[in-house]
Amino acid sequence: MKGMTHFMSGLAVATFFARAVHMAARGGNEDAQSSFILVLGAVYGIMPDTLDFKFGQFFSLADYDIDCDPNNPNPQKMAEQMGKAMEEAFSKNKLVKVQLYPMQLGADLWRQYVIKFDGETNEVVIVINEIVSMSQVPFLGTEPKENRVGRYKLKIGKMLETHGRPSAVDIMSGPQFGFKREGERILVEFLPWHRTWSHSYILGLLLSLPVILITYLFHLKYWYLYGIISFLGFAIHITEDLTGHMGGSLLWPFVQKRYNGFCLARAGDPRVNFSVVFLAVTVILFNLDRFTVNVIHLKWYAYYSIFFVVPFIIYLFFADRFDIKLQQKEGIASAEGVLKKYNISGQDAVDEIKEEEDTVE
Amino acid sequence: MHLFLTVLSYTFIGTAVGSLVSFFPSLHIYNVAGIALLIWGSLQNMLPEIGMVPFFTSLIVAFSFVNSIPMTMLSAADESASAIILPGTKNLLLGKGYETVIMSGIGGLIGIILLVAGTPFFYYIMPYINNITRPNLAWILLTVIMYMIFSEWPKGAGHGKTVWQKFSGAWANLFAGISAWALSGILGIFIINHSIITHQMAFQNIMPVFIGLFAVPSIIQNLLLSFEIPEQYVSKESIDLDFKTIVQSTYSGGLAGMLCSYIPLITMGIGSIMAGAATALRGDKVFILGGGVAKLLYYVGSFLFLFVITPISPFGFAKGGLNIIIKPYFYPMENDYFLILSCIVLSGFLSFLLLMYLAKVAVVFLKKVNFKQMYVVMLILVTIFIYYLTGWNGIFVMVVSTCIGTIPVFYHCRRSNLMGVLLIPITLNMAGYGDAVADFLHLVNM
Repeated sequence: MKGMTHFMSGLAVATFFARAVHMAARGGNEDAQSSFILVLGAVYGIMPDTLDFKFGQFFSLADYDIDCDPNNPNPQKMAEQMGKAMEEAFSKNKLVKVQLYPMQLGADLWRQYVIKFDGETNEVVIVINEIVSMSQVPFLGTEPKENRVGRYKLKIGKMLETHGRPSAVDIMSGPQFGFKREGERILVEFLPWHRTWSHSYILGLLLSLPVILITYLFHLKYWYLYGIISFLGFAIHITEDLTGHMGGSLLWPFVQKRYNGFCLARAGDPRVNFSVVFLAVTVILFNLDRFTVNVIHLKWYAYYSIFFVVPFIIYLFFADRFDIKLQQKEGIASAEGVLKKYNISGQDAVDEIKEEEDTVE
Repeated sequence: MHLFLTVLSYTFIGTAVGSLVSFFPSLHIYNVAGIALLIWGSLQNMLPEIGMVPFFTSLIVAFSFVNSIPMTMLSAADESASAIILPGTKNLLLGKGYETVIMSGIGGLIGIILLVAGTPFFYYIMPYINNITRPNLAWILLTVIMYMIFSEWPKGAGHGKTVWQKFSGAWANLFAGISAWALSGILGIFIINHSIITHQMAFQNIMPVFIGLFAVPSIIQNLLLSFEIPEQYVSKESIDLDFKTIVQSTYSGGLAGMLCSYIPLITMGIGSIMAGAATALRGDKVFILGGGVAKLLYYVGSFLFLFVITPISPFGFAKGGLNIIIKPYFYPMENDYFLILSCIVLSGFLSFLLLMYLAKVAVVFLKKVNFKQMYVVMLILVTIFIYYLTGWNGIFVMVVSTCIGTIPVFYHCRRSNLMGVLLIPITLNMAGYGDAVADFLHLVNM
């Protein structure tokens, strides 16, 4: 989910602690002290992605860089480089990471390309697409007329692609893929640095310890509450991410494996993100009221029915009617056509990379 | 009948004056309102008291419409900057500046419809929200600050062979963003605790800071860039907008507008970032049209809330510069809301008509004007303006603020980070830590 969604969820969880809400208020109760304790829930709510995107990704150095000439792209060479990296991962039984880069043609012009790991034919496929603007809008007719597709069939190992969808690379930055052997298969990991160590409940626990220590050393009343709220903010992020496709390394460092999510919703879906943010706001207001001013004279079920359920239904109606949903980039559609033309299997093309990166923005 | 005619005429005058002054770049309506209030005060024996609120309301309505002309057409960047520029500027470079301005104006009209349609919400829900959130504003503001800091992500990460190369390249804009927050926050603490501007001009205490942080860096940016604006296309009959885009923009812009019109110190930029993240909608048209909606709610809605008088909100819950400037001079009554709302509707309609005309004037003006010279003139005028109102002290504050204000211009972080100038000191004051921090910085006994 998006950073804002995690942030608000962390804040909402913090407001369930009556004592914390009392402490955060400016007055009106004996514990009121204008404390910033609730903010900790929000900050820790966005922390896992912060660790990944602001720190973790820079420590994941690639074994191979595929940075082809933007003016004369060679998809065949790119597919071969990628395929050989996968074969190396299989033959040497080690993790091999490959970094892709965008092809920048000008300040506002980029050449889009699509990568497809075709599990059925055991091929890596690269499709060179149209030139796109900064808004990722393609200039129609700018796709290469020849030498548009590169394919490499693996000579050893059978690829295991967990996403099953092509990924598009266009502006600003490119993704990293990790390949590693699992039995007789080569596992393809998208953004191998993301949602690993940072998305662990154990790490959440460890990162809440300094908060407990500092608040204890400063003799703050209810020092333990700061740590509990920090941990829960962190934990709600990891739990929410499990609703998507990628999941997380929930028990790192004890279990290194990155578990898959439940695939209930896509991370960048505006309907899901808005609904969770709206629910968080509704919860925050209700909790603030019941623990402090008491101006809402409704039972909890009446409150949530009127202020969440009814608006939520109206929102879903409008979202459906006015196309508020995960938007597919125009350029991807043309790649789909090319993939079909070359009899390359797969589901609908989805811009997994941008979507995942956008979730934090 | 006399009352009606007075209100009507001051609405017309306010709209006309507001449209005229909003046409000029780098001139903010709150500065103009401050000066207008001084003039009004000196002429108060000649001017009817009842005309004051309609005049200032119309001034702000006209600004929220017409200001999109200088924002779009007179603040150009070159092609190399298009990686960081907004859709409005991008459209200008494509010859679609006129269309962008009109689209923003349509957004303003939608904003007015939202104000009218939202009246039951303002009266029956907002006062409760206000009662719940007011005792919690300190941590709510800190939450906003933390979101703004944490939600700025590396731009173009991934290049480099070593950890340090990748890290340093990506962190340049993040570090600049944090520096902008910190430095503007420290400046704000200094200015609020120890103003160096004379007490006669105390109402404009923050003006040199804002002009230094926002207006002068924009002028410098435009002076440094080399650009050629293409001829602008003026559509004669229609604007390319579909109903789906209008609904999406209303949803996104309405949410942004509500956030920044209610929460103190939250500007349109910050509100739009937060609403954009919550709604997760993309698209240049949604951005421009939604921006028009948000701008009207931010400037006009925030002032209108002053008149939402209910048993649990006896003083309304307004925010914003106009509220601060004119609130000491009148006392809102219960039924004023509908009078002011009528002024807003009338002024909005007139402003939109004026916008269509003035946008065409701007297109002609664009063909003739030398941008570099225009910005040099603007810089001189702004400096004279500051000197006239606040003297050398004000100039000094403006220069210091300009140094901080250029950080986002040159290092491509969010410009809204500079709102730390108000957000940080006021959050500290609200939480009761302001004096301790001022004491720590030795500002109390200076």
